[in-house]
Amino acid sequence: MPIILGTILALAAIVVIAYPFFGRKRYRLVSESYLTRESHRAERLRIYRKISDVESDFASGDLTDADYQQQRDQLRVAAAETLREETGITTASERDEQLEMEISRLRDQTSISPEGGDTL
Amino acid sequence: MADLGAMALLLGMALSIYAAVGAIVGEKIGMAELAVSARRALYMTALTVLAASGALVNAFVNNDFSIKYVADHSNTLMDRAFVWVAFYAGNEGSLLYILLVLSIISAISIRFAPRRLARSLPWTIAILSVIQLFYFGVLIFVASPFELLDIVPLDGRGINPLLTHPGMFSHPPLLMGGLIGITIPFAFVSGALIAGTYGDDWIDVARVSGIIAWGVLGAGLLLGAWWAYTILGWGGYWSWDPIENVALMPWLVMTAFIHSIMVQKRRGMFRMWNVALLNIAFVLAQLGMFINRGGPVVSVHSFAASTLGIIFLIFMLSSLVFAFALFLWRMPKLKSDRAMDSFMSREASCLINNFLFLAVMAVTLWGVLFPVFSDMARDISVSVSAPYFNRVNGPVLLIIVILMGVGPLLPWRKASARSLKQWFVWPTVVGVVTIVALVAIGVQRPVAIFSFGVIAFVASAIGEEWWRGTAARHRSGDNWFTAWWRLVNGNRPRHGGYIVHISILILGLGIIGTNFYQQRMDEALYVGESLVLDNYRIEYIDRGSSERPDRIAQWAEMSVYRIDPADYAQEFETARARGSSGFKLEDSSARPNDELIDQIEPWHGFYVDFNMASVRSGIRSTIVEDLYVIPRDFLTDGRVSIAVSINPLAWWLWTSGPFFLIGTMIALWPQASVERRPVRKKVPDESEGDG
Repeated sequence: MPIILGTILALAAIVVIAYPFFGRKRYRLVSESYLTRESHRAERLRIYRKISDVESDFASGDLTDADYQQQRDQLRVAAAETLREETGITTASERDEQLEMEISRLRDQTSISPEGGDTL
Repeated sequence: MADLGAMALLLGMALSIYAAVGAIVGEKIGMAELAVSARRALYMTALTVLAASGALVNAFVNNDFSIKYVADHSNTLMDRAFVWVAFYAGNEGSLLYILLVLSIISAISIRFAPRRLARSLPWTIAILSVIQLFYFGVLIFVASPFELLDIVPLDGRGINPLLTHPGMFSHPPLLMGGLIGITIPFAFVSGALIAGTYGDDWIDVARVSGIIAWGVLGAGLLLGAWWAYTILGWGGYWSWDPIENVALMPWLVMTAFIHSIMVQKRRGMFRMWNVALLNIAFVLAQLGMFINRGGPVVSVHSFAASTLGIIFLIFMLSSLVFAFALFLWRMPKLKSDRAMDSFMSREASCLINNFLFLAVMAVTLWGVLFPVFSDMARDISVSVSAPYFNRVNGPVLLIIVILMGVGPLLPWRKASARSLKQWFVWPTVVGVVTIVALVAIGVQRPVAIFSFGVIAFVASAIGEEWWRGTAARHRSGDNWFTAWWRLVNGNRPRHGGYIVHISILILGLGIIGTNFYQQRMDEALYVGESLVLDNYRIEYIDRGSSERPDRIAQWAEMSVYRIDPADYAQEFETARARGSSGFKLEDSSARPNDELIDQIEPWHGFYVDFNMASVRSGIRSTIVEDLYVIPRDFLTDGRVSIAVSINPLAWWLWTSGPFFLIGTMIALWPQASVERRPVRKKVPDESEGDG
């Protein structure tokens, strides 16, 4: 019995690892352009998180008004830049619309007001 | 089942070789099918180890004593519940367990790795496969758990008695799982470095897998302390034993890492430093494996002693060379593009905290290795014991606790004098008031009083952080609890971290209480006699015994009374004159205010086959203090020799555990996606392989 089980295991392993060579599905390595875009996307999401943290810090009184404005503006510029590189959207208004929508979604999650704390 | 286990291990080894080679060759020659196939081989490796583990468990359940490992670590008398413990009770089984964990977490981490890591993933797979290959090699050629005996015994030797404790169901697996878990962030970061991807793409995977390994290791350490407290019978929970130390050291470095990775996430700094920390943690985890498996350092954890030391030493040194050669090769590309604005900033406090953690690690490492060097250089055997570690590490750990309060109050980048004053006033006042109050009520020991003050300072700093954030949200309409929850939810890594900090403060209470205010007394009592210590009278009522094929067990039935010390004023005075805090009473007739509060049964077993004694302390635990009775010996004249101690605040040591776990889970809990996936033009060459 153990030998049979071992043989089944070995055959299963062979089938699983051989399938990509003989199966119908065709594979291609992930392209450089895709990786670059994914990298930009991840960077953009990290910047959103930083914006959320900055807004949270400001709401809690950890940041002065001037520091908050400066950090938030820097991060929004960086987010717009990565969005441009990622999507190829060149129109500033289109970029701003998408950024604003995603950042406000983040605010909804963290319950921080759009003014970043001015009203809190 | 031995055949199935051995076949599964051989198959797993072949799959590991295939995964390592196939992943890299597939990537290099651009053959997607081979890369995908190699990745599947890694998944299948986990299945083979699972099959081998299943075969061993099956052998234990069916008392298959033809397998040497089963015969060495179980017998027909063993409670079946301990099959799980017996599985990793010896070297071979514990190595199989480590490989099982490694193969499963490797498969999971690769399966769910972000696509953007596709360039480095083949290297990550190769690194994980090579490490698995090492364990397969050891299990197949050097320490097989499926080795067969020529003559099959009728019964096995049984399980090591020290392992027959509830803590053993979780302490060793967590500890081993935590140590091997460090492999995952290490493999991802090393893979990225080899592939030449220098950005922060690996940061989330390294952070999450690093925190999981750190949390698991931390939980394992705490459970180990609980196990030692209740079963080892030396009256403590942490002895700076080499095996404890080798698990603590990677935990310390990973603690530094999970702080500095936050700086990398938020400020884009410390990238090189974080890679170095992961390398150090990984090599220290290998050191742990080496010392645990027959390394040169003597430890109370002798159940895993073996001659595998040299193999693990070679593997550890290879890991060291690989990790730091890779680091040095890629170092110029890892430099952060940002500098620190000010030393009065959160990132600076993280850096100082990192140095202090590394200092504690270095002191501990020196304490572990010094006996080895001494033996080699001077042929003199020495041992480094607890006082060295306490004296050197104690003050540094206290500074780390202070920084736990200071760091969160500092803003990122730089703090102004005004903000420092604003944020530090209340925590400092609370800390100082605590110290003054403790002095005023007559609490002794300046270091302990200062430490309590530090704990109060840090707790109020966290409280202030929460208060400010919660109040701001409350003013916008949320009720208090919702406001607090939204604050925590808005930045889970940060606030989960604060909950972990609270757990450390709770642990600190226990450590201070037990280290500075413990009262202890050793005495031998006849039936009917009592021992009086502080507010307790412990009366020896009777003795019980039982003889089983595997052990001779004896226990003392004892009644615990709460007393009014005024009733015993004269005896206490005499005892104090002798320099003792307690005394023995031959006449156990109760005084007017004696109140029976508990019955305890300290237990002592001798396991003939192992020539080993095992102890279950009698413990009455309250949030204020533990009454802790260790049965040293049952003497032939009818007396029982006991060591009684009162361990103030010991309960808090174990209470810290749930807070630690909750905080870690909150810090790890993923945030929901906020993204609207951008609309992209279809690019012809974009289709990816599966997985």
